[in-house]
Amino acid sequence: MSFQTGDVLCDAKVLKEKAKDMLDPYKYDSSELTKIIYKKKESVKEVEVPLFIGEKYRFCFNMEAVPKAVEIQIYNKDKDSKNRKLLFSSKDAGLDKKEIQFEISKARHVFVDYIVPPVEAGSYMGCAVFAVGYK
Amino acid sequence: MKIKSLIIPVTLLSIALVSCNDSSDVQKESDEIHDSIIVNPDSMGISEEDSDVSYNLPSALQIAYVFRKSGATYNSTLPNSVKNAVNYNVSDYKRATNFGVYSTDLAYCLFNKKHQETKDYLKATKEVGVFLGLNQAFESDNFAQRFEKNISNEDSLIKIVSSIELKTDLLFEQNKKKHIAVLTFVGAWTESLYLANEAYVKEKNKKILASLLEQLSFTDVVLKALNHHKTSEPEIESLISEIEKIRSGYESIASIKAANEKNEDFAFDVLSVSDDELKNISQSIQLVRQNIVK
Repeated sequence: MSFQTGDVLCDAKVLKEKAKDMLDPYKYDSSELTKIIYKKKESVKEVEVPLFIGEKYRFCFNMEAVPKAVEIQIYNKDKDSKNRKLLFSSKDAGLDKKEIQFEISKARHVFVDYIVPPVEAGSYMGCAVFAVGYK
Repeated sequence: MKIKSLIIPVTLLSIALVSCNDSSDVQKESDEIHDSIIVNPDSMGISEEDSDVSYNLPSALQIAYVFRKSGATYNSTLPNSVKNAVNYNVSDYKRATNFGVYSTDLAYCLFNKKHQETKDYLKATKEVGVFLGLNQAFESDNFAQRFEKNISNEDSLIKIVSSIELKTDLLFEQNKKKHIAVLTFVGAWTESLYLANEAYVKEKNKKILASLLEQLSFTDVVLKALNHHKTSEPEIESLISEIEKIRSGYESIASIKAANEKNEDFAFDVLSVSDDELKNISQSIQLVRQNIVK
């Protein structure tokens, strides 16, 4: 699946609802849609997610609308910080997976990084979605 | 660092949209979202396209859910009067922030099982929500009656709220109202800070203090989001100044400073804070809240 500039790239409702459905038995809290733009150089899109330290969280990613594999990395600090710790990488499960889950507790925030691979030519766009659940 | 977007869940609006019954209600509500909301990146604006950082903030419902665990006693004098709702249809800033305020008050009443008050705040939330142009959501499926019918069933209500919360997220996304969503969150967060602060002043309960401190720890991300949108509404700049005072007070707390130096993910319930350290923060919270609801 690939997209050209100007095409309808993602159905936010469908993507988010699928992500939300994966949260069970966690309670839905929020969701985030991130526009992915492929460039000639690798780029990173980061989403900061503040959390309550006493809660358990599940993150459910829906990568169906991402036309070329994007790695999801989750860190304890933002991308400009030194000595940040990698908590999760979607590479371990396989970058072709479209539905990905991550759980965490005892954290005050996480930083979701989408590692967007370079493309040689053309304009590719897509949308990555995750939902956050708590219990 | 550039900032892309901020999607704020407006949980309690959701409550206003439908009531709860059982899982079939959830499905029914989901089915009632008539049109798929298609996001075309070309229509998302230059700032979004160029930005590389965004924020996903917690819902008002989750904040209230966590605050409930502190065991704070319900105080009927704390929530903003529902009679004030009619006063807020004067600017997007007022509409959005007070929509957030009422969302938190609604959740506060809900989690304290104050059924009549919950219904009253549902009405106020709906009223301000309509001011914000969220009519479509409020027009769905006799929500008021269903809400009333199931008001004592907290678990079912949370499920319904979560489902509608997603719907409101999508509406904000569709209408390209990111700054309104940010202001809505700030209103909800401010009201929750206010409730926690007032409860701590009265009860001096360590669990309430921990909850207050944890909510205060969100100040930094709140300011990042507001700064991104500071030219969107004329009132935002002064709101930022007021919240910066809260952050300054929070970061000046000795135990917070020490904990931050040791380990970023510390537990708040082991921290000690003096009344002097809290005094300025308390006043700043009251000022922000007063300016929003007046």
